[in-house]
Amino acid sequence: MGYLGMDVAAMTTNDWLGVFFVLVSALGMVAVYFMVFRPANKATFESQRSMALDDEDHINVGEKR
Amino acid sequence: MEATQATPVKYDMEVVRWFTIAAAIYAVVGTLIGVYIASELAWPFLNFDLEYITFGRLRPLHTNAVIFAFGGCVLMATGFYMVQRTGSTKLWSNGLAWFTFWGWNLIIVSAVVTLPLGLTTGKEYAELEWPIDILIAVVWLSFGLNHIMTVAIRKTSHIYVSNWFTMGMIVMITYLHVVNSLAIPVSLTNSFSVFTGVQDAMVQWWWGHNAVGFYLTGGFLGIMYYFVPKQAQRPVFSYRLSVLHFWALTFGYVWLGAHHLQYTALPDWTGSLGAAVSLAMIIPSWGGAMNGMMTLSGAWDKLRTDYILRFLVVALAFYAMSTFEGPVMSIKSVNALSHYTDWTVGHVHSGALGWMAMVAYGAMYHMIKKLWGVEKMYSESLVNVHFWLATIGTVVYVVAMWVSGIMQGLMWRDYDEYGTLTYTFVESVSAMHPYYAMRAVGGLIFHIGTLIALYNIVMTVSRAGATRSAGSVPAKA
Repeated sequence: MGYLGMDVAAMTTNDWLGVFFVLVSALGMVAVYFMVFRPANKATFESQRSMALDDEDHINVGEKR
Repeated sequence: MEATQATPVKYDMEVVRWFTIAAAIYAVVGTLIGVYIASELAWPFLNFDLEYITFGRLRPLHTNAVIFAFGGCVLMATGFYMVQRTGSTKLWSNGLAWFTFWGWNLIIVSAVVTLPLGLTTGKEYAELEWPIDILIAVVWLSFGLNHIMTVAIRKTSHIYVSNWFTMGMIVMITYLHVVNSLAIPVSLTNSFSVFTGVQDAMVQWWWGHNAVGFYLTGGFLGIMYYFVPKQAQRPVFSYRLSVLHFWALTFGYVWLGAHHLQYTALPDWTGSLGAAVSLAMIIPSWGGAMNGMMTLSGAWDKLRTDYILRFLVVALAFYAMSTFEGPVMSIKSVNALSHYTDWTVGHVHSGALGWMAMVAYGAMYHMIKKLWGVEKMYSESLVNVHFWLATIGTVVYVVAMWVSGIMQGLMWRDYDEYGTLTYTFVESVSAMHPYYAMRAVGGLIFHIGTLIALYNIVMTVSRAGATRSAGSVPAKA
């Protein structure tokens, strides 16, 4: 446990800021997992599956310098 | 705000064409320098007692040429290509895109001049001196501003995942480059980093590994998520997984840098944390690789005839392999053997040649046909030849470095019964010679592939130009 021990009294403002951002980022990551794997969101996400294929319909005449 | 399919969109593709051609040229130059310095290590007389062409001066030129000249041009070409097409809009500023093109090439020329002269900060993958660093920041921001503003003016409601990867790369590389390059200039060609000691090492590898993570991985994953479905003519296997892939990589990569500094003056826990997160990153990385490969579900037969698709699929195989190998090497017990050896060089090249260059060429071949409005490359057979040369060259290179690296590690830490080192350093150098020659051969094979690709691309473009001059085929993209 010594390896994982934390001297709270010795923590500086930078340390606390680091802890704050790490926890916020980790919670954000949990939120992303929840959002992506929520069954109700599946159809919304997967509706974009073929987006890369859809742009073939557009006509481009190119740009001449 | 969905796109109106009936409305023709006139894209700004000329700058994309120039970036694509530049990338093909820089790939040849960058790998040629790589082959030469690999040969210098095997046959040192190739230094010819000229300081300008020694390994120490040409090695950063090689890395800058392949990562920033070749890789950068590919990322900017595909970035501008994908953002217009998936957003059904032209670039926010075509003029700014041309500024980016000429500015980026000016940076490359500056590297070609300064690095052989020995003008370097000595920071890995960030060797260029402070005036060029400032230019990099300005040009990179011009690319970022143009890309992000083009996303902002898109005609589609959704931002495709490839653009998220590109924007993630733009934001993170800006932040990383500026912080890592903070320096006190003492002259136009010399400066000192504001960081010292262990902080300098930490910042260096915070930059170094995130350049790999966001530039060589994230940026090229954006390319993969657009061009694999395009070339396979299949939708992405799981869009949900692609979203998760993006966020997991963005969250995870920033922690990894410390695994480059195991057993150094850096606090022990930082290396352990870097290794732990590295291992966790196998999950999203393999999820993404599987997502790309499973996109071919029902279309695997295309690999028999579609040589461009082969580039993209083999790239995914190397991506999966490298993203497993890297975390394993970050574990302290493995790192004790692998660090400072050629195993690291082999790992880097399985990623750079097998993943980055392969996916880049897959995208370039696809784009060239669209950009110049041709049905086929000048020679589809030469695309196949290039594919096999790239694959064989990469395997030869990587295997040579694996064997050499593990042998080095074992020789360096072998003790005899009296507790003294069994081998001298020179003995380990001598033992590596056959593998250094093998590495040079592998690199040469890969380099020949880039020459063939350039020839094929030039001939395709020339033929398309001649056809276009005759007015028979309008350019499409």
